[in-house]
Amino acid sequence: MNVLASGGFWAFVGVVAGIYTILSLGLQLQFGFAGLLNFGQVAFMAIGAYTMAILVVKEGWSTWLAAPLGVVAAGAAGLLLGLPALRLRSDYFAIVTIAFSEIVRYVATNENSLTGGSQGTIALGKVGVAAQYNGQWERFQARIQGWLGLSSKDVTMLVIVWAAAIVLLALVWLAVRTPWGRVLRAIREDEDAAASLGKNVLAYKLQVLAIGSALAGVAGCFYAWQFSFFSPDDFQPLLTFFAWMIVILGGLGRVWAVPVGAVVFGFLFAGTRFLDFPPLSYLGGADRAYVRLIVIGLAIIGLVLLRPQGILGKREEMVLE
Amino acid sequence: MSASLHVHDVVRAFDGVRAVDGASLEVAPGSITGLIGPNGAGKSTLFHCISGFLRPQSGRVLLDGRRIDRRAPHRVARSGLIRTFQTPRALTRMTVVENVMLAAPRHPGERLGGSLAPRARRRERDVSVRAAELLELVRLDGHAGALAGTLSGGQRKLLDLVRALMAEPRILLLDEPMAGVSPTLRVELLEHILALRDRDGITLLIVEHDLDFVMRASDHVIVMNDGRVIAQGSPDEVRADERVVDAYLGAHHGGA
Repeated sequence: MNVLASGGFWAFVGVVAGIYTILSLGLQLQFGFAGLLNFGQVAFMAIGAYTMAILVVKEGWSTWLAAPLGVVAAGAAGLLLGLPALRLRSDYFAIVTIAFSEIVRYVATNENSLTGGSQGTIALGKVGVAAQYNGQWERFQARIQGWLGLSSKDVTMLVIVWAAAIVLLALVWLAVRTPWGRVLRAIREDEDAAASLGKNVLAYKLQVLAIGSALAGVAGCFYAWQFSFFSPDDFQPLLTFFAWMIVILGGLGRVWAVPVGAVVFGFLFAGTRFLDFPPLSYLGGADRAYVRLIVIGLAIIGLVLLRPQGILGKREEMVLE
Repeated sequence: MSASLHVHDVVRAFDGVRAVDGASLEVAPGSITGLIGPNGAGKSTLFHCISGFLRPQSGRVLLDGRRIDRRAPHRVARSGLIRTFQTPRALTRMTVVENVMLAAPRHPGERLGGSLAPRARRRERDVSVRAAELLELVRLDGHAGALAGTLSGGQRKLLDLVRALMAEPRILLLDEPMAGVSPTLRVELLEHILALRDRDGITLLIVEHDLDFVMRASDHVIVMNDGRVIAQGSPDEVRADERVVDAYLGAHHGGA
């Protein structure tokens, strides 16, 4: 059967888009609303996923305790990074976050006894035993599948991930419409002006950094459950930039632009996999994978030229001084 | 309600250049004090030192007798000292009314999750009523829903002023409130500023290059040059002071 016509494949693309939505929502809150340049978002996803997996495999914790703790650990890491780094000017802060994300990945690669090293989570347990952290999750997923009468595991995961994404989107959407969100936008526009009116700029930035990191932690847990295995290689900086593309594609400063950007990105990314007509079919499969990135890059350049505000952004906000 | 301000011997240097070099001044509660001086006299740097945006290298700043020179800007603001900036700081991608509402002090809805409390919603209602009043005062009510980035330079100046008022200052520091404001608006602005003192009992310290405005509005005028206070007194006394004329026109303008 043609893989394009297979429901399972598109359900998988949808799951990944849902996970990206949660990951990118954190960036949207941080940059789109508070003006924080975080180029290390993938690190918090890694911290969430690893904390969950390690607690389940090594400590024998229930997934339902380990996953929330993974989210808290990701948020706490954001807070800890922010305490020194947010005192820097915004561009220096951006550099620190990208360095932090590489540090996390290198630690995960080299601390074999803690993370399983470059072999990934399969080496989390005893030598020679393939470790599994998602038994409890699989049972939960099967129960949901039976309960909703869904056809496959992929579709079930699609429903669960998007249900979580929509709840989180709605929470962020509600939060940014409050006076709290108004202060965030003021900080994005001019943090000295906000401070001159009595707003504690650092405290708000720390809150936003922690919340955005916790959202990445949620994305990390879903990522771990979806793939049943992961390694430090899954948390390359490229993933952070995918999340940035999603935020820019969708439109800055709009909560509901995030899922739109994620779906467009997800389907562009997956869809370009099938560019196998001539002359592209003369290339080998591996080469075509890179053509895919070129196509996405061109699509984003085109969009930024034609709609710099993103798919859902407001143009008039782009031209103001 | 009115606050007093004391600045004692404040020094602030940049790379060895002493922008403020031992400035001392006093602002009486409920007064309008004009701060003048040629460009580079250190007026804006002193404003930054008073409002917490710069830390003085030595000297003290006291608000109602309490030291504020080690406090972060937002804590200075919360003590009741609000300042505006030389170039207006409109939050351009927010609406005009949001700009004003932002400044409301002690708003419980500004805490994360604080909006769930009914009193936060009540406060937000009161704040929006007050913001509408303030915008009407400077005739920006017609622009309330527009993005602040669409306002002209003069309108932004007015927006900055009413936003500062929303913060309920006890003392207000205005950095060149007249710059970029049209002559007709200037007359109105002068009246608003006098009313702040007379009706609301707000203490004002105003940096301004428009000497005519300073002389008309101020109870007390302070003159700075080279980072120091070189003269002060009533507008008439300052006008007659030779050192002031020297500072503005150069030391040897009429000298033999």
